[in-house]
Amino acid sequence: MTSVFESATSTNAVGSDATRDRRGSWLPNGAMIATRFMELRKRRGLMAALIVVNIGIPTIFLTIRLILHVAAPKSYGPAGGYDIFTGIVAGVMYVFGFIVAATLGCTAGSVDLTEGMFRHLVITGRSRTALFFARIPAGLMIVVPMVAAGFTIVCAVCVFAAPTKLDYQGVTVPAGLSLKGLETWAADHPKEVVCGLPYQGGGQVNIPACFIGQKGQVVTPPGAPGLNSVPLATLKADAVKVAQQDYVDYSQHFLSPSTSLMVKAGLWIELEAIIGLIVGLGLGSLMGQRTVAVILMIVLEIILTPLLSHAVIPHLINVQRGVVGLATAHLEPGGLPRAFGGGGGGGVSRLVPESTTVAVCVIIAWLVVWSGLGAWRMSTRDT
Amino acid sequence: MSAQTLEDTSGTNSPDSPWAVETHGLTKRFGDNVAVNDVELLVPRGCAFGYLGPNGAGKTTLIRVLLGLTHADAGTMSLLGFPVPRHRDLALARVGAIVDEPRFHGHLTGRQNLQILAAARERAARDRIEPSLERVGMMQRADVRVSKYSMGMRQRLGVAACLLGDPQLLILDEPMNGLDPAGMHDMRDMIQSLVSEGRTVMLSSHLLDEVERTCDAVAIVDNGKVIRQGPIAELLAGAAMEVQVECSTPDRARSLLSTTPFGTHVDVEASGLSIHLAAGTGRDVIAEINRLLVGDGIDVFRLQEIQVSLESWFLQVTSRLGESA
Repeated sequence: MTSVFESATSTNAVGSDATRDRRGSWLPNGAMIATRFMELRKRRGLMAALIVVNIGIPTIFLTIRLILHVAAPKSYGPAGGYDIFTGIVAGVMYVFGFIVAATLGCTAGSVDLTEGMFRHLVITGRSRTALFFARIPAGLMIVVPMVAAGFTIVCAVCVFAAPTKLDYQGVTVPAGLSLKGLETWAADHPKEVVCGLPYQGGGQVNIPACFIGQKGQVVTPPGAPGLNSVPLATLKADAVKVAQQDYVDYSQHFLSPSTSLMVKAGLWIELEAIIGLIVGLGLGSLMGQRTVAVILMIVLEIILTPLLSHAVIPHLINVQRGVVGLATAHLEPGGLPRAFGGGGGGGVSRLVPESTTVAVCVIIAWLVVWSGLGAWRMSTRDT
Repeated sequence: MSAQTLEDTSGTNSPDSPWAVETHGLTKRFGDNVAVNDVELLVPRGCAFGYLGPNGAGKTTLIRVLLGLTHADAGTMSLLGFPVPRHRDLALARVGAIVDEPRFHGHLTGRQNLQILAAARERAARDRIEPSLERVGMMQRADVRVSKYSMGMRQRLGVAACLLGDPQLLILDEPMNGLDPAGMHDMRDMIQSLVSEGRTVMLSSHLLDEVERTCDAVAIVDNGKVIRQGPIAELLAGAAMEVQVECSTPDRARSLLSTTPFGTHVDVEASGLSIHLAAGTGRDVIAEINRLLVGDGIDVFRLQEIQVSLESWFLQVTSRLGESA
């Protein structure tokens, strides 16, 4: 037992170990990162909450849809598919991923102080900056796989439980048709097209009142002349016009998300989670406590960012452009509904305008500034 | 703040310094309150050194300054010969410390907490986790979560954490706090065994009895200032002496002694006399008192020099003397 202590009385050994292990360096070593990862991972309550929010909620939602679809397929559509995918990713995982990561970051940034461990660590002689920076990879080792796990489940269900037919505006349409193909299909199904698909005017389409019923059948209101009063050739010509007008919108509807979209969407929500972690870490370290920091991060994500992303305030527009949530919303992959609402399909954006370059710069600035603030506070804090 | 004085003026390391801790003019202020006031402290290597002071005297603040937990406002300091904060990493590589109550991550086991601390030290520290736990008697509870630990167990874990760095210098702030008598006994034994291995243990405490039993030398701090320091034996030798005399006629003996230079502080007690002699009085005075009394026909049954305790000496030299009187 005493052998490991034998060098205690050797003055020559003083500092040699510290020199060798670069104790004054601001870079953490692998063991520091690994033990910090262990410390965070062992927080059972926090981990359970993070798993429930990040993996559990999408899983439960999709599981219920699967069960309902299996039990009553005519009443409940398929559990997966393109629309479900885009809705979950942009509406749930994007926001929840940020909050989950921010909670972990705030925890990692403050618990050493609140639990009295920071003193022990400082007394080792290790650089305080290194102690701070060890938390970033450790946090990423938890957040990135967790977000990836939740996202993978969503992708799997949305691909494997996707509908076999495309339900476009209530009309069952074959998926993936070209413009010519859609025109041909419309000419073959003129009643469904003219009664079910939207038409904005501008042509000669003048069809008697009709609509698509709940079971997909064409319905004419009582007393209306009925579609049989219209010559079939006219009906087909009108259906082609409707198809031509709706093609742009139709072409953005798919049975299941493409691989490209899934990869881009996955990287996008991982980016949002990484931002949440690092900003939360910096804020937690700066404040020295978790609860208020987490509340501030939630307020930023679900109140301030949506407000500042859509309402253009002329004198504050550059401040608005500096909001990190707006910047990440501008990097959203096409094909997803706009984050924080405000339009869909990656089409016309109602967000405060911002170039991609500015958005990238804003994100980098947030990561650098909050890391710097956290590291500075940890280095200067009396404890 | 004289920041330049905090830098190492020599610019060279001197790990062969005879002092484990050396401070000159060290000062730390909190607003108008001077918690550490121009402290000159020399802690020799290889001994148990008590850093004593009443509550609020600035003991913990000095330790926090030494360990880099807070910044000094003025003065110079070195640990194991390395000037700090300039070579803080080198100095603290062989320092272990407990400051205030030892606290750890409650959701982790004792062993896991030590793994975190060892990771911040050199690679060899990871190999010292088991021996450290064994040494403080925590092997059986090493895999229990710290939230289930008693105060005494956390103190032991704190000492184990100190040992991870194979320290030459241990700075223990009130290590006896919260320990039961058996725990205090174990801690005392551990400190003595650490010193016997050539390590220096700097012990901050207000438990004077424990310090007197454990330490070789002490410094007394009061109102942020070190007012005395040195080996306990030397310090107490310079303290006032008390001689108790049991004799046949105490009143007559008092009258007789009052005519002598050393009879100015004589109290008559039920069993005899209590004579207070000035600091530095030689032991030959005791024989002289005996001769005087016997020569005047007073029967002397017992004549005893009372050893001044660290506690009574402490009260003499600190401002708390007036408060306790």
